[in-house]
Amino acid sequence: MEVEISRRRFLQGSVALTVVGGTMAGTTALFSEEEKASSASPRVPKTVTTKTGTGKAEEIPFLCGMCVNKCAGFARVEGGIITKLDPNPYFPKSRNMLCPRGNAGIQTAYDPDRLKYPLVRIGKRGSGKYKRVSWEEAYDAILNGTKLFKGLKQILDEEKDNRATIGYCNGEGLSKEGFETLVGQKLGSPNYVDEVSICLETAGGGFFATLGVYPEIDFEHSDYLIISGANRAEAIITPDTMDMFKRTKGRGIKTVCIDPRFTNTAAKADKWLPVNPGTDLAFVLAMTWVVFNEKLQNEAFMKKYGVGYEEYKKHILSHKYTPEWAEPICGIKAKDIYTIAREFMNAEAPVYYPGRRSIFSPNDYQLRRAMAIFQALSGNIDKKGGYIYGNPIILPPEYVNAPIYAQAKPRFDTEGIAFPTLKSGSWIVFRNMILEGKNPYPVRVMMMRKHNPMMSVPNTAKTRKFLEKMDLNVMIDILPSDTAMFADVILPEASYLERTSPVKSYGFLEPAIVQRKAAIKPLYETKEPEVIFKELAEKLAKPLFEISKKYDKDLQEQIKLRGEEKVFEEDGWNLADAWEKPVHEKNKEIVEKAFGPKAWEILDEKGVYYPHMEEYHKQLNPNEFQYYPKNRRFYSTMGDKKRVICKYDHLATRGIDPMPTWHDEWKFSVPEGKFRVITGRHAQFTQSGTTNNAMLRDLIPTNYLWINKGVAKKMGIEFGDMVEIKSEVGQGKLMAYPTEKIAPNQVFMLHGFGSESRGLELAYGNGANDAAILKDDIEPVFGAAVMHSTNVEIRKV
Amino acid sequence: MARYGMALDYKNCINCKACEVACKEENGVLLGADKHRIWVGVNEIEGVWPNLSITSSSFLPSQCQQCDNAPCEEVCPTHATYYDENGVVRVDSDKCILCSYCMNACPYDARYVDDRTVTVDKCTFCSDTRLARGLTTTACQNTCPTKVRTFGDLDDPESEISILLKTRDHFSLKANLGTEPKLFYLT
Repeated sequence: MEVEISRRRFLQGSVALTVVGGTMAGTTALFSEEEKASSASPRVPKTVTTKTGTGKAEEIPFLCGMCVNKCAGFARVEGGIITKLDPNPYFPKSRNMLCPRGNAGIQTAYDPDRLKYPLVRIGKRGSGKYKRVSWEEAYDAILNGTKLFKGLKQILDEEKDNRATIGYCNGEGLSKEGFETLVGQKLGSPNYVDEVSICLETAGGGFFATLGVYPEIDFEHSDYLIISGANRAEAIITPDTMDMFKRTKGRGIKTVCIDPRFTNTAAKADKWLPVNPGTDLAFVLAMTWVVFNEKLQNEAFMKKYGVGYEEYKKHILSHKYTPEWAEPICGIKAKDIYTIAREFMNAEAPVYYPGRRSIFSPNDYQLRRAMAIFQALSGNIDKKGGYIYGNPIILPPEYVNAPIYAQAKPRFDTEGIAFPTLKSGSWIVFRNMILEGKNPYPVRVMMMRKHNPMMSVPNTAKTRKFLEKMDLNVMIDILPSDTAMFADVILPEASYLERTSPVKSYGFLEPAIVQRKAAIKPLYETKEPEVIFKELAEKLAKPLFEISKKYDKDLQEQIKLRGEEKVFEEDGWNLADAWEKPVHEKNKEIVEKAFGPKAWEILDEKGVYYPHMEEYHKQLNPNEFQYYPKNRRFYSTMGDKKRVICKYDHLATRGIDPMPTWHDEWKFSVPEGKFRVITGRHAQFTQSGTTNNAMLRDLIPTNYLWINKGVAKKMGIEFGDMVEIKSEVGQGKLMAYPTEKIAPNQVFMLHGFGSESRGLELAYGNGANDAAILKDDIEPVFGAAVMHSTNVEIRKV
Repeated sequence: MARYGMALDYKNCINCKACEVACKEENGVLLGADKHRIWVGVNEIEGVWPNLSITSSSFLPSQCQQCDNAPCEEVCPTHATYYDENGVVRVDSDKCILCSYCMNACPYDARYVDDRTVTVDKCTFCSDTRLARGLTTTACQNTCPTKVRTFGDLDDPESEISILLKTRDHFSLKANLGTEPKLFYLT
């Protein structure tokens, strides 16, 4: 006997509903029930999970899109339905594994709340009132507007073809470059912001400035690990997570975890040291002092590769960054600092884990520099068991014929930033300067894709005002996110399992190229991003060319000289020419040209290719594969080209310390009665993009507020009690989780919850949105968001 | 014919629950907190901040222990629970009457009610899905990021699991009950 259990019935019985009470029951969905029912399709499974069959099935190689990490897998497709996602044993980066999110990708593709067809706003912004339209009508609304909003044509005409009036943003992913090509290069907007300035910009920047690389780690051969801030057991990164935890717990890698809260990574460490938030730099400087004071460093290595090395030594010793100095600042005992510094330098292959996390404190750039130099003092760089530069496979660059817009103004988001990045800018500074009227010209359009600034950029109230200020907002996405609800036109994209994506190269030590292939055709009326880019470009090209002709003197001159048709085609004004070939065909062309037809055959079938793959790749046991034999891995590739920039004079020209230096303004303190709020990730969740995933929501029903047990007791707060968390910029409500895993003056909440979009049945009204609570502080080097500087009040409600 | 068992290098476990999700997707297990064939046991940490006992915080991946002497099979009045030809403890949906004796008898709490098939269901070592297709790994083993599990034939002295059990110390859960589990925890 078989009983069909619908998603809806599952929900009615789920823990999630009972804990958040009425919020979900009252959802007025973006689409009516009737529309939901009529969208039922034989291409969508009837039940949430589908037992795999024993009959005929296709196995299509894909690259996971549930987070930024990119693991490879095979999608099992039975009768046109994806029934299972399995790991791909050919990809050296993800080593035959899929994490819980990777496994739950099916639920994202088949999410009943998917954006199914193009929508045009018919109600007030944010009201969620949209009309279903055809693709042609949607493109037309972007170009010509409706009676509720202006279109690109009118706006650009009014702005005299200043293309910088268009801002755009995009989240990480394989089709990101295509969107940058469309809006940046083809439409001519310089005002681009993305996840970089709200993520790990200073980590990459600090390591690059110091070592010339943001390295990989060879965990297979390392024997000592300091992991500070990063939480690899819960924020899974391949291959680090897999390689690291096979050897912790007395099995090869002695592990010291530095984190304000006791994470799952701490649970796997030999030592956990709760550091005061934002003070890791004092810890590293003090360890560096111990090393210099006791002459534990690899002096020959530093003499050879260090730049400004002697000055750095003097700098550390003369500032007297002793463990006794650091103890009251970072909260780590002096004797522990001595021990760890000595153990690290005495280890065979020690690693100070470079990171990968968002920016927590304004000194993060200097922290990364100090970490990189500390690692270099051991000499364990560009070698087995250490930091790896490796030998990444370089794919041939793509040429885009971009028109030059004489009227386009440059970007302006530079206030308070020493080294503004021209490419991805600063989300916070860009947004805030516009809100404060500091923009030198009007920014009136936001073109957005796969990005949810309402829940990812600190201070949601400001993001809301920013989006409301625009004359035209366009969103390309798969789900009706909080940000999508501010769009005037919504274009529904195919999810990662429904599209073939441009080939990519990954890995330093064991490099490979990968191709994501569509497991199924785009569901409903959705389209692959590259098809959307092309069609939109086709729609916009001629009418916007007319605007440029009106204001662009250079263009007028060229037309006079060479004729309109020639200029349009040759100078890139034909916006769609960047997408002449479908992605799969283009991939074939690129790979065959670079590596030959055999390489393409392997890549197309297995999803992965690297030179000598057929010879090198073999299964070692039921769980492990060899990708490259050890003597073919790229452990050491830099030779004498390595540099360790201890003193970086260029920084001083813009007021940034040329050597990592502590400033007392970074000391951690919380006023009596308040808490410092810290945020983070979980293995079963990526960000706001996964909160509506039924499978994952089954594992984590909501985000709880971690609060110290003793403190909670005093406040009369028990597990499951609803509490209000309030900062100077915003507030939220969520349930309490009293625990000993966090300090008395801190609270922790998972990122990505607290959605306000009624189109998301599972995510709406569930938990609290950390972006609404966090202050919009920036760090001084790139203007990137600082996540852990906000104090909050907690109150039982 | 084989005698399937599983070795768990449980210290690798980071409690990410990839196994749980893979199991549900592979075997069509329903969602809901009480519907699972596989889980990770977590001990709430001991101590008072900041003096916490790291060793008290352990993750113990678990599932049906595939006992050679299974209490759930013994108590089943309709013989719905049976040993298949590979020694895997299975359930025949058609015979199950939901009496739940097996749920009470199982010392590992490994049986649950599947509302769709109306059966007190359990882990099958993916016998009717992956193994039936000729694969040699279970969904939970195959997907695990830190490779906790090794599944294989205990009767084959050359199998990876046999070698592991010969060369590594291991224990079984509640071995004193005489259930003779075929899940082995490596130390």
